[in-house]
Amino acid sequence: MSGNGTDTPVVHMEKIVKRFGTITALNQVDFTVNRQEIVGLLGDNGAGKSTLIKVLTGVYPPTSGKIYFEGKLVNITSPRIARALGIETCYQDLALVPHMSITRNFFLGRELTRHLGPIHWLDLHQMDKESRDALRNIGIHIRSPREKVGKLSGGERQSIAIGRAQYFGAKLLILDEPTSALSVGETHKVLTYTLAAKERGLSVIFITHNVGHVYQVADRFVILRHGELVGSYPKEEVTEKDIASLITGERER
Amino acid sequence: MHSLAMRWTRFRVKLAETPEAVALTSLIVVFTFFAVAAGNFLSSLALADIVTFGSIMGIIVIGVAMLMIAGEFDLSVGSNFAVASYVWADLMNAGVPPLLAMILAVLSSAILGAINGLVVIGSGLPSFIVTLGTMLAYRGIARAIGGSDFAKYTQSRPFLFDVLNGPITFLNRLFEGGTNFRVSIIWFVLIALLMAWVLNRTRFGNWVFAAGGNPGAALEQGVPVKRVKLTAFILVGVLVGLASVMQFAHRTSVDPVRGEGWELIAVSACVIGGVHLTGGVGTILGACLGMLLLTTLETGLVLMGVSVQIFRAVAGIFLILAVLLNTYLSRGE
Repeated sequence: MSGNGTDTPVVHMEKIVKRFGTITALNQVDFTVNRQEIVGLLGDNGAGKSTLIKVLTGVYPPTSGKIYFEGKLVNITSPRIARALGIETCYQDLALVPHMSITRNFFLGRELTRHLGPIHWLDLHQMDKESRDALRNIGIHIRSPREKVGKLSGGERQSIAIGRAQYFGAKLLILDEPTSALSVGETHKVLTYTLAAKERGLSVIFITHNVGHVYQVADRFVILRHGELVGSYPKEEVTEKDIASLITGERER
Repeated sequence: MHSLAMRWTRFRVKLAETPEAVALTSLIVVFTFFAVAAGNFLSSLALADIVTFGSIMGIIVIGVAMLMIAGEFDLSVGSNFAVASYVWADLMNAGVPPLLAMILAVLSSAILGAINGLVVIGSGLPSFIVTLGTMLAYRGIARAIGGSDFAKYTQSRPFLFDVLNGPITFLNRLFEGGTNFRVSIIWFVLIALLMAWVLNRTRFGNWVFAAGGNPGAALEQGVPVKRVKLTAFILVGVLVGLASVMQFAHRTSVDPVRGEGWELIAVSACVIGGVHLTGGVGTILGACLGMLLLTTLETGLVLMGVSVQIFRAVAGIFLILAVLLNTYLSRGE
C-alpha cells in the first residue's frame, strides 16, 4: 500500500459475472488494484483476463457485479467513460497508427489547435514540443517527433503508448501483453518504463502469459483460470514456479 | 561499390517517404515522350485540353483520394456525376433559378454520398461492394431522370455558368485561336490546396489518416471513426456534384453514359499517385499528379492517332508499373 494516506483502492471489481449466451466467461470474480501498485494479471488463453479488462474499460457490460473507482460506484458503459475516469489501456496492436508521426499519434484524438474565428488548425509546432518534452520527462528519448511510428522498434512503440497515457493524466494504466514479441533488451526497457510509471504514482495492470517478465516488476499477482479467480498473491508469498503451476492448475490455490 | 548501394538504399527510403515521386517522374517521362513523338502535343490547344478535362476529373480524384486515405472506396462517383448533371439540367429547364438548381444538384450528390457512407457503416460490408451496388443503382437513377436520353440546356447562358466554368479569356487570347483554358482549372487548384490543408493541418485530416491507418487504434484514442468516414463519403459526393455542375456549365448537355468508367480512372490516379489501397497513406498532390498523368496519356495518344481504346490498355500498364515501383520503394520502410 502506498504512503499517500488513503487505503481506498483505485479499482475494486466485485463479484463480476460475464456471460456470452450460455458460456460463462467470468464467474464471480473479485479484482482489486491499489494505489501505486503493479498487479500482474495472469492466466492461460481463455482464462478470462481480457474479458475482465474489457468489462473494466467499458467494452463489455458485465452481466452482474459492481465496479468501484477510487471508492465510488461507477457504471462504465463505454471506453470513453473509462478514459474520462483515468483508465488508459495500451494494447499491443491497437496503440498507435504506424504511418503517422510520433507527434500525431501522441495527440491523436486530443490534438492541440489554434484558431482564427471559426477556422481551427493543428498547432503542430506546440504538439511536437510537448510530445518530445513529455517523453523526455519520463526518460524516453526520441530522434524526432516527426518520425513515423512504423519505423520504431516494438519497445519504443510501447514506451510511447505508456508515455502518452501518463501525459494525459492516467491513474490506472492497463498494459496488454506489453512484452510479447519483444527482444530481451526491448523487454527490459518496457519493464523499466512500467516501474517508472509506478514511481510517478500510477497503478498498473500488467496482463501477460510470461511469468518471468511480470515477476520482475509486479507487487501482486492475480490469477484466473476458466473464468474463475484462483487467487491474489503478494510477491513475497509466491515464487515464479508457484505462479506457473497456479496458472495451469497443477497446484490448487 | 558498397557505399553506392548504401546510398541508393538511403535515396530509395527518401523516395518512399515522398509518395508523389513515382507519379511525378512518370509524368515528366510521359510528357517528354509525347513532346517528342506527338507532333502537336506541345501546342496550347492540347495543353489546355489536358488541364481543362484533368481539372474536372481532378476534383473527383481529390475526393476519392481522401476517402481512400480514410480506408474506403467510392465506385459510384461516375454514376453520381451523371445524376447531378441531370438534376441540374432538369431543374433549370423546369424554370428553377440556376443558382438554386445548382445547390439542389450538389445537394443530391451529397445525399447519394451520404447513402454510401450510411450503408457501409450500418452494414459493415466493404465499401468496395456497397459502392459497386450503388454505382449500378445511381446509374439507374440518372437514366430514369433523363429518360435514357440527353438533357440539354438551350436557354441563354446564365452568368453562373461563366463563374463555374467559363473560358479564361485573357489567358486564351495570349495563345493561338481555339485555345480553351477554363475556370474549372482555378476551382480545381483552389479545392486541391484546401483539401491538402484540411488533410495535413486540421484535426479532421489527422482523424482521416488514423481511421484508414489503424481504425482500432483511432477508436481507442477516442476518434469517432464512423463519423469521420461518413463525413468523407459526403465530401466525395459534394466534390462529385461540383465537378458535375462545372462540366455541365461548359458543355450544357449530359448523356446517359456520362461518367461511366471514371470510378476506376479515379482509383487508378490515386494509386499511381501513391495512395495506398489499404488506407492511411497518400497525398492530394500525388493523386492529382496521377490524374494529370492519365489525362496526358489520353490526350497524347489521341494526338498520335492511336485509338482511344488503346488508352485504357496503356493506362492499365502504367497503373501496374506505378504500383510495382511504389512497392519496391517502400520495401525499405
